[in-house]
Amino acid sequence: MAAAGTELRRRVTPSRSMIMTLLIVWMVVQVYPIVYLFFTSFKSDAEILNAPFSIPLSPLLDNYWQVLDGGRTNQSFVIFFINSVIVTAGSLVILVTASSLAGYALARGPFPGSGGARQVLLLALAVPVHVLLVPIYFFFGDLGLRNSLIGMMLLYATLGLPFTTILMRAYFLSFPRELEEAARIDGCSRLGAFWRIVVPVSRGAFASMAIVNVGWVWSELFFALVLLDRLGVRTLPLAIAAYKPTTMASETVIGQLFAIMSLTIVPLLIFYFLFQKQIRKGMTAGALK
Amino acid sequence: MPTEHGHDAPTPAATATHAVARPGRWEAIRQNLHWYAFLAPAFLLLVLFMAYPLYRSFDLSLYRWKGLLPRRFVGLDNFVRLFDDRYFWGALNHTLVFAIAATIGTVGLGLLLALAISRRVPGHSVYRFAFYLPVMLPMTVTAALWVRIYEANYGLLNSALRAIGLGALAQPWLGSVDLSLGSIITVSIWQYCGFPMIVLLAAIEGISEEVHEAATLDGVTEWGRIRMIIVPLIWPVLVSMTVIQLIFSLKVFDLVWVMTKGGPAESSAVLGTYLYRKAFEQQQYGYASAVAVAMFAIIFTVTYLYYRLVQAGGREN
Repeated sequence: MAAAGTELRRRVTPSRSMIMTLLIVWMVVQVYPIVYLFFTSFKSDAEILNAPFSIPLSPLLDNYWQVLDGGRTNQSFVIFFINSVIVTAGSLVILVTASSLAGYALARGPFPGSGGARQVLLLALAVPVHVLLVPIYFFFGDLGLRNSLIGMMLLYATLGLPFTTILMRAYFLSFPRELEEAARIDGCSRLGAFWRIVVPVSRGAFASMAIVNVGWVWSELFFALVLLDRLGVRTLPLAIAAYKPTTMASETVIGQLFAIMSLTIVPLLIFYFLFQKQIRKGMTAGALK
Repeated sequence: MPTEHGHDAPTPAATATHAVARPGRWEAIRQNLHWYAFLAPAFLLLVLFMAYPLYRSFDLSLYRWKGLLPRRFVGLDNFVRLFDDRYFWGALNHTLVFAIAATIGTVGLGLLLALAISRRVPGHSVYRFAFYLPVMLPMTVTAALWVRIYEANYGLLNSALRAIGLGALAQPWLGSVDLSLGSIITVSIWQYCGFPMIVLLAAIEGISEEVHEAATLDGVTEWGRIRMIIVPLIWPVLVSMTVIQLIFSLKVFDLVWVMTKGGPAESSAVLGTYLYRKAFEQQQYGYASAVAVAMFAIIFTVTYLYYRLVQAGGREN
């Protein structure tokens, strides 16, 4: 076995070193722009224009301070950040609650309409959200949900529902029924059994569902752009999109933009770092569903 | 998946009782009321914020409406106009070009990367982490970042080209009618090739080691191993990644909106941005809804066919 291994290594050595080189080059291409983003956020505007590749040896925190207290843009980043946290957390709570209840029912069925309900979820999965934009804009106007963070939570939870419910159902199908049945015999209602027996054991599954959805909710722009126009309710993607793509020399707040971008992605990157394994599992499961 | 079948297809006897005896069906519904209560929150949300708006979108597409004045019924007139609207065809064309190029790019590159790091090259977990990193970025951040990388005078790309003496290749990447769409597609591939990579890598690592060893002992070359063993074994995953990426790319909006808003001269306009401008910049809500319906028809068909395909595949296994 060892002999075969060394022989293989010798035979493929030239192409292997080439592959290694290409991999390193591509890694630089993939990672350098992100490093550039962080470096740039610590530079003055003049430095950004004149020395784009330099490492900020004496990092300036000015951009961050200005972003935090509003600075030249008069828009405090703190408000955007808090809004994004509220919307994301609220959406995920509603989404996980509704999808786990529905997924549980569909896994424990069959009952009249359960097959139809599953078909509806599959169909809903195929609906492109763009088609909802104009009607949602007017419907939210009628309901008084424009410029409302609660409205955004309900909307985002709905958009995530079909996919998440299907995943939740798959999870509950593999969940042993015996535990619940024991609780039922002890006089628990269905909801009681769900709440006392199923929920405590399923925390991990709920967390993965939240993890799978956190990225797109945190980054959502399309609906936020039309539904949130009051300054006080805007979310982070709007703050970033608000910087007009003009020529760099005419921008006087380029450093601040980079500070906002780095503050937007740091929570996600920390998250990614902590939950690497679950995210990969979730992605893989979702893709193969 | 035997349990699936149990739920999917009621036994013939059960179906018969439902069909023949209505009271039996009502009885069954009455006995299962608790399950409807479990379904209620999810389906209430879906009806309110998905089904109803979807219906309204189709409805609105038959009207001419500026938002405030009473709307005017025009039948299929919006769709007739759509047919003659060269900007709509342009946007549709760009969307398809974007979707196909981005899909080939991300899945192709993702496959190459997965193959390259699948044989436990030194530091393979570092590569895996690095290649997946951009996938985590919000699209608005990616777009805003690349606007500054592509910027013509001080941008990173042109500065780098000038620094290595290739200044002649420096271009106004996003400001040129010929280059804008291609530049945006490149960013999409840059950001998302890590996603197919992760999934395909998992599939390749799922192939048992004995298969590889047997091939190695039989003197199969590296290329032959990829072509005759790995690709056929991960084929279903590859197809599924391709379709997922295609559906995802057809919905492109954020990247284009933040980078060019569809410009210059509509050269990078896609259906998403076209719809947005028609509705919220020109207040042609009826016409925008017709664009939305056309978009719905395309994406819904592709997606639905895909899920039928997956379901059919699941039954066979």
